[in-house]
Amino acid sequence: MADLRLESVSKSFGQEEVIHDVSLEVAHGEFIVFVGPSGCGKSTLLRLVTGLESVTSGRIFIDGVDVTHVKPSDRRVAMVFQSYALFPHLTVAENIGFGLRLAKTPAAEIRRRVAEVANTLRIEELLERKPRQLSGGQRQRVAIGRSIIRSPKVFLFDEPLSNLDAALRVLMRLEITRLHNRLQATMIFVTHDQTEAMTLADRIYVFNHGRIEQSGTPMHLYNAPANRFVAGFIGSPAMNFLPAKVRRQEDRFTAAIGSSVVPLDRSLRNLPQGEISIGVRPEHMSVVDPADGDVEATIEIVEELGAEVIAYLQIDATAEPVTVRLPPQRQVVPGQRVGVRLAHESFHLFDSDGALLG
Amino acid sequence: MERDALYWRVILLAAPIAVFTALVIWPLLSSFYYSFTNWNGFNPEYDFVGLDNFAKIGTDRLFASAIINTAIWMVAAIFLPTLLGLALALLLDSKVPGGTIFKTLFYLPICLSAVVVGQIWIWIYQGDWGLLNTVLRAVTGSDFSYAWLARPNTALGSVIVAWSWQQTGLSMVIFLAGLTSIPDELLEVCDIEGATAWQRIRIVVIPLLTPATVVVVALSVINSLKGFDILYIMTGGGPFHSSDTLAMHMYNESFKKYLMGYGSAISVVLFLIALTIIRIYFRNLRKVDEIYG
Ligand SMILES: Nc1ncnc2c1ncn2[C@@H]1O[C@H](COP(=O)(O)OP(=O)(O)OP(=O)(O)O)[C@@H](O)[C@H]1O
Ligand SMILES: [Mg+2]
Repeated sequence: MADLRLESVSKSFGQEEVIHDVSLEVAHGEFIVFVGPSGCGKSTLLRLVTGLESVTSGRIFIDGVDVTHVKPSDRRVAMVFQSYALFPHLTVAENIGFGLRLAKTPAAEIRRRVAEVANTLRIEELLERKPRQLSGGQRQRVAIGRSIIRSPKVFLFDEPLSNLDAALRVLMRLEITRLHNRLQATMIFVTHDQTEAMTLADRIYVFNHGRIEQSGTPMHLYNAPANRFVAGFIGSPAMNFLPAKVRRQEDRFTAAIGSSVVPLDRSLRNLPQGEISIGVRPEHMSVVDPADGDVEATIEIVEELGAEVIAYLQIDATAEPVTVRLPPQRQVVPGQRVGVRLAHESFHLFDSDGALLG
Repeated sequence: MERDALYWRVILLAAPIAVFTALVIWPLLSSFYYSFTNWNGFNPEYDFVGLDNFAKIGTDRLFASAIINTAIWMVAAIFLPTLLGLALALLLDSKVPGGTIFKTLFYLPICLSAVVVGQIWIWIYQGDWGLLNTVLRAVTGSDFSYAWLARPNTALGSVIVAWSWQQTGLSMVIFLAGLTSIPDELLEVCDIEGATAWQRIRIVVIPLLTPATVVVVALSVINSLKGFDILYIMTGGGPFHSSDTLAMHMYNESFKKYLMGYGSAISVVLFLIALTIIRIYFRNLRKVDEIYG
């Protein structure tokens, strides 16, 4: 049985609908990531699941029970806020044991369970401190501690790592994965960072403007994006989009990128004639001699990252900047004239509305 | 450079220090000085009497009752407006219909001077046609006529009610500001973790209002120490000195009985009391700072 199910959930604030008819299912133990640009409704959706906001229409089920009109505390969900939301006047131990104290759990049992949680999160030596005396990462752990102590059905994380510096973010990402493996709990993690989404998720839901654009495993979204938005959002550096014109030549299609013509050598049957956009990931392009490429270009900026080189270049035909991922031994310099070879079999074709073609 | 900064510091601080000296330090020191004399307030000739004035305090029955009244006055003047202001703020912070109107109404009295407030309440307490007795008569159906301010049992209490009525608006506004500074997420954690309304107020809201409470209590302490005018208007310390506070007693001794020396001794005691309260206050302020600062 699904731990969480949303059926046609919509939410309006006043006249403005910000969540449009969202339906989704999360199985027990899954690690789900909601990802999408700022303002697309991720937080709102989490707040609907917790019950901090009520739905305008639709229904929410947790563990098979309709909780649409159940108050937050009876939904058996726990939420970790971006701001940690720790009580400044309570010690770490009191913060972690907050829910148990409210439920009038005996003090001895609260102590025992707080110690257990502190052990899991490796914060035993911090228990007597106040939140002010903790680092960002430690606060994050305490906030997580408070959420796991009551063994909720579903954990909700709203951008819990965004206040941490880059190194700590990577560390906490691993911690959360480890925690998920240990607890085997159902978790929903909100982020607008696609790298976080890719690394953490069993399954990702990509949102835009309050709608689900696509869901699936990280690799599925990466390899088979359902539309241009997902294609551009998942993957870093982002996918390149080249404007092109489709032409039919006998039984196969070609695409004209400026004055260069590239064959579309897939088993494509019914492409519309006219303007399309070709999506190519940076790793599906290579830099060759000017004469050998599909298109000609000029190198603008080169970023040497050690394990790889990221080059930004300007394609002559389209004046579009594109990003290319190169092996580290590849020597390129800004201003250099090069040819760009495209891996035709890895094209993603989109029409002018961003829908997938073919 | 260093010397330049010092120079400007001295220049800029000179004016406030001069004003402070003329209006605070000098009267303070002269009070200390006159408390060792038998000066009557206008005669240029007077004698030093050593600690006689302070010894007299020990045997002054009116002083003893004034001390008790001052204690009652201060405790009530701190607790009543603070608690009432907190209760009103908690009530009006949730979205009550007409909340803004109520906030304005409760805040209004603070804009009135103590003289006006005193006069309003004199009318309310008036025996024959005062609002309070009129209401009581209507409710009980009896022929009730009680001169609240003219009876030793109720004089002080009645003034305290009037005072609290005026001060509550101020503490309410400060608490309301304090409430808006509590992050929404903390209250949402309460919802998710299942706090009852009372648990949420007791375990989360009131502790988080500590900075606001510090301000409210500070203002209450200062205002109650200064709170002489409303008492003067409403009862003048009477009847039979039943509502005398230390300030009122000092005023009576100095300016009615012309015992300026003795009055000064009383003011020295009052000063020491104020000093002690303020010291306790500052010591606790530091603790608050450590948690919320
Ligand atoms: N209480 C509210 N009243 C009115 N509009 C709201 C409210 N909360 C959110 N919105 C609107 O709903 C939309 C979605 O907001 P939401 O906070 O869910 O976005 P988000 O995806 O979490 O963005 P971010 O990544 O920046 O946190 C936004 O347009 C926002 O302005
Ligand atoms: Mg958000």
